[in-house]
Amino acid sequence: MPVKDVLIYPHPLLKKICAPVEHLDEEIDSLIQDLIDTMVAAGHSVGVAAPQIGAPRRVVVVDVSHSKLGRDDNHGLLVMVNPEILEREGRKVSREGCMSVPDYTGNVVRAESVVVQFLDREGKQRVIRARGFEAVALQHEIDHLDGLLFLDRVSSLKTDLFRRKKR
Amino acid sequence: MTHFALTIIGRDHPGIVAKVTEILYRLGCNIADSSCTILGGQFAMILILSHPKMQSNEEFGTSFAPLEADGLSVFLRKLQPGGESAAEIDGEICMISVYGSDKPGIVYPVAKILGDMQINITDLNTKLVGTPQRPVYVMMIEAVLPAGLEIEELSSALDRLKKDLQVDIAVRSITPVEL
Repeated sequence: MPVKDVLIYPHPLLKKICAPVEHLDEEIDSLIQDLIDTMVAAGHSVGVAAPQIGAPRRVVVVDVSHSKLGRDDNHGLLVMVNPEILEREGRKVSREGCMSVPDYTGNVVRAESVVVQFLDREGKQRVIRARGFEAVALQHEIDHLDGLLFLDRVSSLKTDLFRRKKR
Repeated sequence: MTHFALTIIGRDHPGIVAKVTEILYRLGCNIADSSCTILGGQFAMILILSHPKMQSNEEFGTSFAPLEADGLSVFLRKLQPGGESAAEIDGEICMISVYGSDKPGIVYPVAKILGDMQINITDLNTKLVGTPQRPVYVMMIEAVLPAGLEIEELSSALDRLKKDLQVDIAVRSITPVEL
């Protein structure tokens, strides 16, 4: 299965709202395989969204089990078709970067824990609760399906401390 | 292309950025990296510029005179070739928070330890907060550790300083995550 090139901003597909998957057919299954292969080939990548490899469909793959930050709390390889975040809880700041926006990182506030509903690769409806780094990765990848990059969510360029209300 | 560093500082008021960037735009300057912030009551701008034709400070002539007339101090410096790009800094990134009752001599001892350990400060902010009766000094440092230096070694060096200076110091690692 082919490893795909990851699209780099300003590629227009990265700002497009992706279409839901109607049928889990062969085409979608091979898209899923391409996503997994691309994620693995990218070495330290923990997730890829379909629009990043040129397919404007609502499919993401996430696997934080090989990363230091996600090793202890994860669901292994997650394949999500038409994912939807049902609940968000807590607040967590991470310094995010993205394969589609090279050479730039920023502090992003995300929910610390999310409940996500999705179809798995076999088309089975599933609901999981993800925490910590896995939750951050899921929110980042699912954002791609709505044409949102982490740049749309950066809370501060440097430290948050001095950006506060006047006394 | 020749690069220049431009620094501008003056009493903060709305419209400074518009005035400065209008001049730069009309000159045909590109703004590459820049950082602008309020320090005290002053607005401070630091910009790295490039221009396809201009080679020297003199060619800017009196372009910035309207800013000086507006109470802003302007300083322009031509960069040596290559001075516009940073050397690759590869190493663990950490945030260091230092805070405590305000007293003379907080910044230097911390910076001295970092310098002695070859730790590269990439960002530093300080701010005087609290009340006039009980002023509190806060310093935030982002730094890159040299290869082979563990964050624990830095923590224990700073722990000793914590006692000497009677301030609180926390060090934590920042792992940028590529998603």
